Amino acid sequence: MTLFIQTIANGLLLGGLYVALAIGFALAFGVLDVVDFAVGQWVMLGGFIGYFLWKWTGIDPFLLLPAVFVLFGGAGYLLAPLIMRVRTSRYARPELMVLAFTFGIALIMRGGALTAWGFNTRSISTGLGGVTLQGGGIALPGLRVAAFGFALAAVGLFFLILYRTRFGLAVRAVAQNKQSARLMGIDVERVSALVYALYAGLTGMVGVLMAAIYSVTPEVGVRYTLFAFFVVVLAGMGSIAGVLIAGFVLGVLEALTAVYVSGTLTFLVVFAVLYLSLILFPQGLARRGRS
Amino acid sequence: MKPEDMRRETLHRDAFAGLSTRRQLIQRGLALGLSIPVINAALAACKGQATPSASSGASGPTFKLGVVTSLSGDDVFGGNLTRRGYDFWAETVNQRGGIEVGGTKYKVTMVYADDQSKPATGADAAERLITQEKVDAIFGPYTSGVTLAVAPICDKYKVPMLAGSAESPNVWKAKPAYTFGIIPSVDLTAGKALAVLVSQANPKPTSAAILGADEPFSKEAAQGFLAQAQQLGLTITKQEFVPPNADLTPIVSSFAATKPDIVAVGGHEEVLINFIKAAKSLNFLPKAIIMHYGVTEPDFARNLGPDAEGVFGLAVWTPDVSYRDDLFGSAKDYDTNSYNRWGSHPDYTEAACSASGEVFAAAVAKLGKKPPLSESDRAKLRDLIEQTSITTFYGPIAFETSGDHYHDNTKPTPVLVQIQKGAVVAVGPAEAKKAEMIYPLPAWNARS
Repeated sequence: MTLFIQTIANGLLLGGLYVALAIGFALAFGVLDVVDFAVGQWVMLGGFIGYFLWKWTGIDPFLLLPAVFVLFGGAGYLLAPLIMRVRTSRYARPELMVLAFTFGIALIMRGGALTAWGFNTRSISTGLGGVTLQGGGIALPGLRVAAFGFALAAVGLFFLILYRTRFGLAVRAVAQNKQSARLMGIDVERVSALVYALYAGLTGMVGVLMAAIYSVTPEVGVRYTLFAFFVVVLAGMGSIAGVLIAGFVLGVLEALTAVYVSGTLTFLVVFAVLYLSLILFPQGLARRGRS
Repeated sequence: MKPEDMRRETLHRDAFAGLSTRRQLIQRGLALGLSIPVINAALAACKGQATPSASSGASGPTFKLGVVTSLSGDDVFGGNLTRRGYDFWAETVNQRGGIEVGGTKYKVTMVYADDQSKPATGADAAERLITQEKVDAIFGPYTSGVTLAVAPICDKYKVPMLAGSAESPNVWKAKPAYTFGIIPSVDLTAGKALAVLVSQANPKPTSAAILGADEPFSKEAAQGFLAQAQQLGLTITKQEFVPPNADLTPIVSSFAATKPDIVAVGGHEEVLINFIKAAKSLNFLPKAIIMHYGVTEPDFARNLGPDAEGVFGLAVWTPDVSYRDDLFGSAKDYDTNSYNRWGSHPDYTEAACSASGEVFAAAVAKLGKKPPLSESDRAKLRDLIEQTSITTFYGPIAFETSGDHYHDNTKPTPVLVQIQKGAVVAVGPAEAKKAEMIYPLPAWNARS
């Protein structure tokens, strides 16, 4: 029984990581209509930048998160207009061209990281890494609990922004109908760039957490892209609330499979469930996916 | 495209049209473009070493040697270690003027092909090296998985391959006619190291749990541990194989619930680092943790710091071995010179890759043919490699000619090593021991 509770806890904490990975990605998709293949590469870059900032300053990486947010937010803000330009191009199939474009950005990031920083594995250690919350035979890794809190806070903050601020109203308007939003005097380009900046900043911070929980090499990006993708697909493309459910479902499912079915089959079971749910709930778990 | 979709597209496009002026775009693009090299340059400053490449710069005929290894993808780290080993041999031999064949010295040129850490890509790369680059021989990939895919290509075109890194027994069970392995396969080494650990441990461990990444080499390393643990009469509390990218906390929790004395892990470097991190984060501490390849690589201890303390591994070569040869000098000399070249100490894979070059040089000198080698020359070269019996700084090299380890060099004996104060130290068996082993492991929070 203890192991069962522990496994559920492990799964929920893992789900928290998935939520953190996917939340910004879901928002960027909802507003910009762009599936950003570079999401995992932002995570990877976040890990490296976090690592170097930590090595240079000696400050605990957790306290460096705001700095990483600002850096990545700035980079995202600068990059967004280029992406929007491809997305709204007058040539054929801009929705496919933008896929190719973000795929290219992902390759550049990966190749750039490999060239600049080499192939060595790097790992961030924070004070939280040594903390384990224990009681009743259950052990909770402090770092993962913090990451879990971070994910929930990010989701909460997104909801606050989206439903309690004028900026959020503008974001929702842009997500719903760009033409009308523009007619209402909303600066669609600026809103989109800000959303992309928010997404890049958040995803960069997640990279620092991932490098602390696991480790980072220039090659880790691809797998994070995959997971962000799966979570968002399961959630229903563009649904923020769905991401919360889908992340936890995937995490718990993965943990239960690893312990009670077979470690070898972990991903097989997770992806089988994903495909089944796509057939049964094509709009995603939250049933709010966009058609 | 449905009319409805088209309408949406048009709306979408019009909403943005004219909003971003060309000038704004150019300004932002420039700002972004300019910031990247600046950041890169700043960060490159702390990167330590550049990616090298060996070229002979020689005029006249040279031996053209192909290397298929992982220069991108999940195994990029290990792939570059093999590259260091091969390049270090090529540079050293070229500094001496090359390989002497029939009184004339011929330099060597290394031609690299990236397998992207994927077996199929590796096989394609090997075919390209052979048919287009017309290499005289191939030096093998970092992973056993890719080696397994490349070996049949080498057989098909009759090109000898010296596998400086592969450790999976499956490579040799397939009886590859043209492939030769420098490192004894894991089924011969993993178990022996575990046996040394158990025999030296006090109090005696009675149980073990086994974890393996579900890929060639890693899985066989874990199976090697498993077979030996059963033979030693240890109770196996749990055994699991997981995909290399899977999160390890659920598995670690299920291991912890069975309270094993020893946890043995088969995996490549990243899995090993993640296992230690997961174990620490859940405060799971067996009496001993033993891993196969990766512990000996300086990155392991560097990244984990005090958490790496006391982790066991095994090595088929350390700089402390007493062997020497004419090219590299003693094992210690090799260690020093390689460190000066690359900025980090070589592990046994790098050493074995360098030694592969010596096997090629010895065989081609005996062959007495100048480059490029014809198909019949290469077939003769294969026979000469099979008859190899040399001693290098890495140790004795001779290949099995029958049985389950066909064409593997089974001569080197594994040493049990342990991370002590951040360094890899030989702790057993008695004749190789440099320090007493730490057993049981110190508590996670009792380390400095």
